[in-house]
Amino acid sequence: MAEKQQSKSSVVKKLKATAAASAYQKEWFASLAKRVEAGEDFAYLNADVPMEIFRAMDIPFVVNQWWAAICGAKQMTAKYYGLLKEAGYRDDLCSYCATAFAESLDPDDHAIGPDGRPLGPWGGLPHPTIAITRLTCDCQSKIFELFAKSHGASFYAMENTVPRKAPLNWYEMVEDDWDDLYDTDRLDAAVEELGELIRFLEEKTGRKYDESGLIEVMNLINEQESWYKKTRDLIADCSPVPVTVVDTINAVMQAQWQRGTRWAADHARSLYGEIKALADAGEAAVPNEKYRLMWLGRGIWHDFGFYQRFEEKYGAVFMWSMYLAMGADSYIRNHVEEDPLRALAARYIGMEDFLHMPPWNSSWFLQQARRNKIDGVVYMVPENCMQAVEGSYFIKKTLEDAGFPVLEFKADPVDARKWNAQSMTALVEDFIENRIIE
Amino acid sequence: MAFRECAAKSSAFAKLAYAYTHREEAAKAAKAAGKRVIATLGCDVPEELLCAAGMMPYPIYALPGGNMEMADKYLEYAFDPLVRAQFQRIVDGSLNDFCDAVVVSNSTDVLVRTYLYLREMKRVETDVAFPPVYFIDWLFTRKRMHQERNCLVVSLFKEELEELAGRRIAEEDIRKAAVLCNRTRSLLRQVDSFRTAQKVQLTGAEMLVVCGSGFYMDREEYNKVLEELLAELPSWPQVHGRRIFYTGSVQTDTALYEEVEETGGIVVGEDTDWGDRYFDRDYNLEMPSTRALVDRYMLREFSSKKAFVSQRVDALNREVDKAKADSVLFYFHIYEEAASWDYPSQRESLEGRGIATAHFAKMHWPKTEEEQQAFSSDLRKLIAGEGA
Repeated sequence: MAEKQQSKSSVVKKLKATAAASAYQKEWFASLAKRVEAGEDFAYLNADVPMEIFRAMDIPFVVNQWWAAICGAKQMTAKYYGLLKEAGYRDDLCSYCATAFAESLDPDDHAIGPDGRPLGPWGGLPHPTIAITRLTCDCQSKIFELFAKSHGASFYAMENTVPRKAPLNWYEMVEDDWDDLYDTDRLDAAVEELGELIRFLEEKTGRKYDESGLIEVMNLINEQESWYKKTRDLIADCSPVPVTVVDTINAVMQAQWQRGTRWAADHARSLYGEIKALADAGEAAVPNEKYRLMWLGRGIWHDFGFYQRFEEKYGAVFMWSMYLAMGADSYIRNHVEEDPLRALAARYIGMEDFLHMPPWNSSWFLQQARRNKIDGVVYMVPENCMQAVEGSYFIKKTLEDAGFPVLEFKADPVDARKWNAQSMTALVEDFIENRIIE
Repeated sequence: MAFRECAAKSSAFAKLAYAYTHREEAAKAAKAAGKRVIATLGCDVPEELLCAAGMMPYPIYALPGGNMEMADKYLEYAFDPLVRAQFQRIVDGSLNDFCDAVVVSNSTDVLVRTYLYLREMKRVETDVAFPPVYFIDWLFTRKRMHQERNCLVVSLFKEELEELAGRRIAEEDIRKAAVLCNRTRSLLRQVDSFRTAQKVQLTGAEMLVVCGSGFYMDREEYNKVLEELLAELPSWPQVHGRRIFYTGSVQTDTALYEEVEETGGIVVGEDTDWGDRYFDRDYNLEMPSTRALVDRYMLREFSSKKAFVSQRVDALNREVDKAKADSVLFYFHIYEEAASWDYPSQRESLEGRGIATAHFAKMHWPKTEEEQQAFSSDLRKLIAGEGA
């Protein structure tokens, strides 16, 4: 059993970059609300919708998964799923995607409480005029259409295709060889899809597409994600690690949803600088680091402290999650100027591939487990989400065949009602004691 | 299965019922005669192309209650029970001695996952033997550019079939196959009119047998039997009961319909691919083959899986009107969730038009005892004209 030591995670997680990102996103959200109030169009996007187009056209937008995480962190989900039930919907489905629709049923979303505080998260979601999702799941388009109707917004769906190619080393090809990485006809179709989206947005908002603007956005993203790559590699090379996933997830994801802005690229650089300084100073997030854990799955937004419960007792540190690594390995697309829409197509169609399809995901997780010298993998399979059904057998087998023990369990990333912190903690403790330490 | 005396005495219906209950027999005979048999998973595998290639389509069916060892090993809990059982039959070797290939269409998200898993099993689980697997990746939104993309999708699939067949599939072959398949659909619509007419002479359970048996018969023989049946149907006695439209999980056996009909309802229509949706749109013989296949498969009535809520509300209203139904039974297996998002809007629309509904979601397959009790009770209410 690991010697008990004081964890520094609660200190280290207060990275300046995290605080800066929190402050920025609140300011940004307030300014977005003002723009919407002033009558500008406002888009609500699923995470795999190519937001770069919106950035380039200066159309304000919020990403569904980010907003669901905010609602989860604000402990709003129990109320929201109750509203779904009252409206005749099931309250046990698609929690990640349905949170914002459920919120739209809340008459108090924009109201102020007796204590003068807003009742909705961050004052509630401004009413979108556009809601866009991709057809990567049978439920998602239905939920987005309901959401759009509830807000009086226009609903738009983008198609999805399945890769015929399945290269095991996609993460080595993705930056420069992206044109070869995907089936040519898939890329062609995705470029057409982008053209159709642009036509819709031009018509709807009156704004015009500007290709040089898109090139600038794409290059800013490349810059930002390159800093994440350096950060991820730096952490992988440190032992003990200077930061944990608790530190990195929020710092990275808050900025990831702002990708394509100067602020986000600068923020990524500052995050790297800050972690590099910690590493150079020999700082350890968990001074008694003994076991390096990999977290597979979405973040437990309503109980972030979960990740830290194994530090003091076991010296077990969650040091890898997809949130930093996917920016590092899957977002960079060089040679943008040659055909920016094609480069963008080669980014957005791949999100579903590398996250949810074996062997894209399993081969990447294995490469990352090796690169990060992982001792054990904790794998959360979402409880009510078909989209996140991603070949858990193959992921587990790939990792375990290579000698990485895997704990697989079911949970809901946003619905706090179903989370039993005690039993989940005991499950991981048992895994550490019986599969890692032994 | 227990059928009315008229059905039991009908030689045509007997042939259909035999094929319905002996589902491997025709495929195995075809295989023994040197024909390739192609197992299909998903309702959007173009049978015209398979027939044109000289192959026999064999929709992979499953019945409740079998061994799920392999499915439990490879699939997450979120795969619905029918797909689990179908997957089990693919990977446990059940198809190996008579199927040359498996073709999966992306008719629902769970089938996309199923294909990916099968593909990955071929790569990493080399000791598990099952036929080679092909995939059809349709786009389901109906914009012109998506229809054009679907022409490419059909062409790619045709090339794969040609490789498998070892020969080119000529336009004329496709046309002949389409004429045959259109004839089947036309005959099925005529048969179905005896169920949807004001005077009902064919029950829902009988229609399930009529439609489902065709998947497991030689197509020309099937058409002949349908013609024989059509000649007999005018003499079949009228059936009385509350007119129920069924929407939900596909029913690959007659048990649920029999239960509805024994309780006093008649299932006068459904929106599943083992029923009305199978024969609701013809192949347009005036079009080039790829375009006609896209038109036939992608512009059919909206499926519950690949359509928006508003489309499904309108589709159900149209189908219920066509069947002249008084009530609608919604019935979904556990983990077959997409349509749950449609239901509140569909109910509102239907009940606003005076049509009662009953909704059963998360149903096990077969039903648990508790589910059975609740179902029986609510079904009685529905048939009495009350919503449940």
